[in-house]
Amino acid sequence: MANQLLEVKGVDVSYGDIQVLWDVSLQVEEGTIVALVGANGAGKTTLLKTISGLLHVRKGEILFSGENLHNLKPQEIVDRGVIHVPEGRRLFASLTVKENLRLGAYIPRTRPFFAESLERVFSLFPVLKNRKDQKAGTLSGGEQQMLAIGRAVMAHPKLVMLDEPSLGLSPILVKTIFELIRTLNEQKITILLVEQNVNQALKIAHQAYVLKNGKIVMCGKGCDLLTNEEIIKAYIGERATKRKG
Amino acid sequence: MDVITQVVINGILLGTMYGIAAIGLSLIFGTMRIVFIAQGAVIVFFGYLCYWLFSLLGIDPYLSLIIVIPVALLLGTAFYYVLFKEAAALKDRIGSLLIAVGLMFFLENFMTVVWSPNPRAVVTSYGFVVFHLLGLNLTLTRLIGLLLALLATLGVFLFLNKTLIGTAVRATSEDVEASTLMGISPNRVNAVAMAIGIGLSAVAGINLATTYSFDPVYGFDIAIKALVALTIGGIGTMYGALLGGIFIGIIETMGSYYVGAGWAQAIVFAVFLLTLTLRPYGIFGRSSQKA
Amino acid sequence: MKNKSNFSEQSGLTKYRSGLFKSLIPSHFKRSHLNIVITVLVIIVFGTIPFYIDVDNSFFAYYLFICFCYIALSQGWNLVAGYTGQISLGGHAFFALGAYTTAIIWLHDLTKTWYYFDPVVMVISGLVPVIFAIIIGTPLLSRLRGDYFSFGTLAAAEVLRIVIIKGGSFTQGAMGLRLPAASFSSMSPYYWTGFLLAIFATATVYLITRSRIGLALRALNEDEMSAASHGVHILFYKIFAFSVSAFLAGICGSLFAYYLFIVSPLGIMNLNWMFYPILICVLGGNGTIAGPIIGAFIVAAIFSYGDVIVGQIHPMITGILIILVMKFMPTGIMGLKDKIFARR
Repeated sequence: MANQLLEVKGVDVSYGDIQVLWDVSLQVEEGTIVALVGANGAGKTTLLKTISGLLHVRKGEILFSGENLHNLKPQEIVDRGVIHVPEGRRLFASLTVKENLRLGAYIPRTRPFFAESLERVFSLFPVLKNRKDQKAGTLSGGEQQMLAIGRAVMAHPKLVMLDEPSLGLSPILVKTIFELIRTLNEQKITILLVEQNVNQALKIAHQAYVLKNGKIVMCGKGCDLLTNEEIIKAYIGERATKRKG
Repeated sequence: MDVITQVVINGILLGTMYGIAAIGLSLIFGTMRIVFIAQGAVIVFFGYLCYWLFSLLGIDPYLSLIIVIPVALLLGTAFYYVLFKEAAALKDRIGSLLIAVGLMFFLENFMTVVWSPNPRAVVTSYGFVVFHLLGLNLTLTRLIGLLLALLATLGVFLFLNKTLIGTAVRATSEDVEASTLMGISPNRVNAVAMAIGIGLSAVAGINLATTYSFDPVYGFDIAIKALVALTIGGIGTMYGALLGGIFIGIIETMGSYYVGAGWAQAIVFAVFLLTLTLRPYGIFGRSSQKA
Repeated sequence: MKNKSNFSEQSGLTKYRSGLFKSLIPSHFKRSHLNIVITVLVIIVFGTIPFYIDVDNSFFAYYLFICFCYIALSQGWNLVAGYTGQISLGGHAFFALGAYTTAIIWLHDLTKTWYYFDPVVMVISGLVPVIFAIIIGTPLLSRLRGDYFSFGTLAAAEVLRIVIIKGGSFTQGAMGLRLPAASFSSMSPYYWTGFLLAIFATATVYLITRSRIGLALRALNEDEMSAASHGVHILFYKIFAFSVSAFLAGICGSLFAYYLFIVSPLGIMNLNWMFYPILICVLGGNGTIAGPIIGAFIVAAIFSYGDVIVGQIHPMITGILIILVMKFMPTGIMGLKDKIFARR
């Protein structure tokens, strides 16, 4: 039995009276990249928010390394090493790049590693080093995404959850970002990747889940799903697969 | 010409008091989206504290800062945890406004009943020393008041920019959810913001006590002007709040000089309404600030 | 059972808005019958009180009179908060305009009526605030959201206060206008007028919310995008709601002018007239029709009977009360009732 770092078991989540997730279950094995794909509004962001503690489960459990996550406060979850990089990056635009990174290592657990983590981030993203005293709001889209990921790295994470990292980026940048994600994974960071860019996501994912209208409708190995006819029809389109091969 | 300069200078000195009140409001509003309308009453409360420390114990008002500021920081933290914690978490605007109103009613009435509605002022032996400089009259107390305000502003600035918690406060003001995802505890940050806000009120209160006479209900007036200063200066920027305060101070003194004190108030509010309709985010504010 | 969702947008103001309309749609046929029965009973009871209580010498009658006034003010505020989604902090301006209009008309004998309590004067007193509401409301409602709108209403009201104080012989400044108190004959006309005003206010707000205007505004309020594309129409209905609340407050002010016989900034533009309706609506229950009524009875009880008992410290009590309500009962009494009867 492989080491399941994150286990989501039968989770129901609601916004007030409106239920958005029904009996959602997924597992993230340690050291892998797991993709969660689905259309807009399927509930992917909701699930990430639930894991990171911003939302509460109505029913079900979330376990991280066997420990209950779903009744912890967001700060405690970050302390366990689960870092959520939100949709749209949500950088602190008025703070500098360095300050953003500094806040990434806010939790006491991460502070001893601060210098080391900073070096790591700057070597992964040299452009950030050049811009370290610039306000985050002045960075380009690609640089902002790098900063957002860099911020997560500062937290000495075990699991990084990325919400639509390719959003709003040009195809070249998208490729760069996905390469970076792979690099991070090679550096022993487990990744849970939420994406609308199904093609790219399934390419790098070891395991993938498909979320539709708040329910998991499919799961399997990334490469298997990539060739699955339903997926192709629903999310990728015939032409795209022919082009990328 | 000299008279006008004098009026402007007085306006600046008055305005810094509004300014630091506005900075306090800005911090509290920025992090918790609470319109702390009790700010004025709190300032008057500290004015009284300063007054009683002086009258009963003979403590010089400026020295009393040593006692008063820590009290203020503690009080601010207490206010947050006792009164505002839930409302801040729910982002309940009506609720937090009403709680602030409740606090204001309570404080004003408490002060009226316990300390009588008679106006008070702290009059020290050196209080009337006036410097004559370049044809201007500068009262010592007002100058010290200005100095205090500037020091307080500097202190807050250093705190916000050079400390980790201060950076966390700035981050939370911008985006609470994102800062929570960094592991920043909203309660901690909010309590710190409120503590500083009340701390600034203490400074303003001492300023008030030594420079003007005050009574228990004076607070609402100050609160409104601080609010106006904040909106004109732009919510979310510290120097904006301070400059907004100075701007209001100048308008008030100029208005008083030209058309009398009553109309000066009206002018202040009219300018406020004008700014609101023309530039809802204030002169300095950023449109990224979510109202 | 506290909502533990840290960042649920369902709390606070949004909950307020959706609550307004949820509770007005009868979920069960029998329920609306029950409501009608209760309404009729209430009207009969309060309508006949002067026949078996000596209204002139009864503190209870005075208390009811105050209740009716607060009901009118609160329903108005309720309407604005529910429809524009914004908190108006300028209600005391409308109230004052109504009172001053009545006083000025009377003192200058503009309508040449020899009796006081003239309905024409009262209606005019209701309309003057409406003009103010339109003047102030148009820029504020069209351009400002949230706290900026609230500050704007507060500032506008304070400007009015200064204008009144500086109004010279017209408004007699801080001293205020005095009306011949000899005209006071009996409490009965006040009671009746107040009662009718409360019914009128409640009925008006009820009808507006159930009309097509109401449903349309509700839909648009909850969907900002669609609201933006409807532009002018929304603004018109928001100003309409604002004006209705101004009208109600104005008539109430007029009634009070007739009652107090002195119209001064301290008494009439007192911030209490602004805060109590808000407290009442929140205590009674956000966005319901019955909420302000229940809230008014409770708040008026505390401040009229409380004044007798506790005298000068009653603002302190107000303060503590507001804090307690907001901390422990933010959905108000109607909210509690919902929870108890688990209507969902």
